[in-house]
Amino acid sequence: MPSSPSLFRPRTLDEALDILAGTPDARPISGGASLVAMMNAGLVEPAALVSLTRIPELSGIRRTADGGIMVGAATRHSAIAADRIFDGTAAVLAHAASQIAGTAVRNMGTIGGAVAHADPGLDFPPALFAVDAHVQLAVKSGRRALPIRDFFVDWYTTALEPGEIVIGFEIPKPKAGAGFYLKHARVAGDFAVVSIALSLADDGEVRVAVGGCGPAPLGSTQADQMLSSGLSAETLRRAGELLTALANPVDDVRGTAEYRKLLIPRMLTRAAREITSARKAVA
Amino acid sequence: MTQPNSVTLNVNGKALTANAAAIDTLLTVLRDQFLLTGAKRGCNQGVCGACTVLADGRPVRSCLSLAFDCDDRRIDTIEGLNDRPIMQALQRAFIAGGAFQCGFCTPAMLVASFALLQSNPHPSEAEIRRALSGNYCRCTGYKKIVEAVFDAAARLPADTAA
Repeated sequence: MPSSPSLFRPRTLDEALDILAGTPDARPISGGASLVAMMNAGLVEPAALVSLTRIPELSGIRRTADGGIMVGAATRHSAIAADRIFDGTAAVLAHAASQIAGTAVRNMGTIGGAVAHADPGLDFPPALFAVDAHVQLAVKSGRRALPIRDFFVDWYTTALEPGEIVIGFEIPKPKAGAGFYLKHARVAGDFAVVSIALSLADDGEVRVAVGGCGPAPLGSTQADQMLSSGLSAETLRRAGELLTALANPVDDVRGTAEYRKLLIPRMLTRAAREITSARKAVA
Repeated sequence: MTQPNSVTLNVNGKALTANAAAIDTLLTVLRDQFLLTGAKRGCNQGVCGACTVLADGRPVRSCLSLAFDCDDRRIDTIEGLNDRPIMQALQRAFIAGGAFQCGFCTPAMLVASFALLQSNPHPSEAEIRRALSGNYCRCTGYKKIVEAVFDAAARLPADTAA
């Protein structure tokens, strides 16, 4: 029987970063939705846990001076799903949050924990691609920000260095327009088999990202450019073909790689239809 | 800096103290130390929903919550919600409608339904199904459960206090 790990409960970010720097193999923990499940299953046995739940500066959603949105890493899924600040093209983020697992998990899980865990079936990563978010990271010796597209490195592997944690997300000023997150899961509350995050600005600019089809969300500047020339049947067909060719899904319990590739163009077309009608309804 | 080896939690309005290790979950402390066995240990993975309790009035998975991280929250379990009018309406509707078979999922179904009716006293069927989508019933009794919640909502006086 291994000895029980210690639990640290810092009250400030600096204190947390000090502990993480000085405690090898310590794991940061916030909502617990992923890490406690893995501990219960015996998949991880952390030497120490550093609870981030008592650090006020890590929680909350606020407007920045330039009209962007800052989301603290320890902000819970339910808070993001309910916040009207995510309007226009940023609506895709709240829409994705509202489809994560079930009510009880949305009341626990945090956006920073989800993104740092980097499960390929998660809902936030593709949505963060579609809003061009930057992820803010902190370690004892300093802070840095990375475009979300540079954060996911490989299966369950991120750009986080030892002792470094996600502290928040910066979302550029949303444009007038709409955002839509289309999730295909086997049953309500499951991880996505495939998901499509889509934002459409009134000026025509489109961002699309595919979830569940590889180690990281799949985005493509070329596909964004095609779709930004107009969401026509022809551009959707070409972008769907391109994304399907770029995708690198695997077979798993939720579906085969082949099935996932079949879903991508069909779901892209459906998401485009939904976002177009959502925009008409608002106009 | 590290935790002491005992934790005091506000459970059903009472301050209760337990010996606990850092990784002990709220579910473990509730069941094994406080002997509040209404919350069930089903999957212990946050999937089945049978361990659902309220933290500050909102449903959470007690199997995924560290006990120590709950020491500044108000925890309500099925045992503490018995005298609330919404819970009593739900219990009567579940019994009248036969909305259970083995009963293992029932306490958590009631807790999740209670939280729904508190925030939304007159939910649609779709809203009930969405609110209960994280609670598994392996006897496949969903239809009667949804009907019972709908029935309970219909019987609540308009001004029912939670």
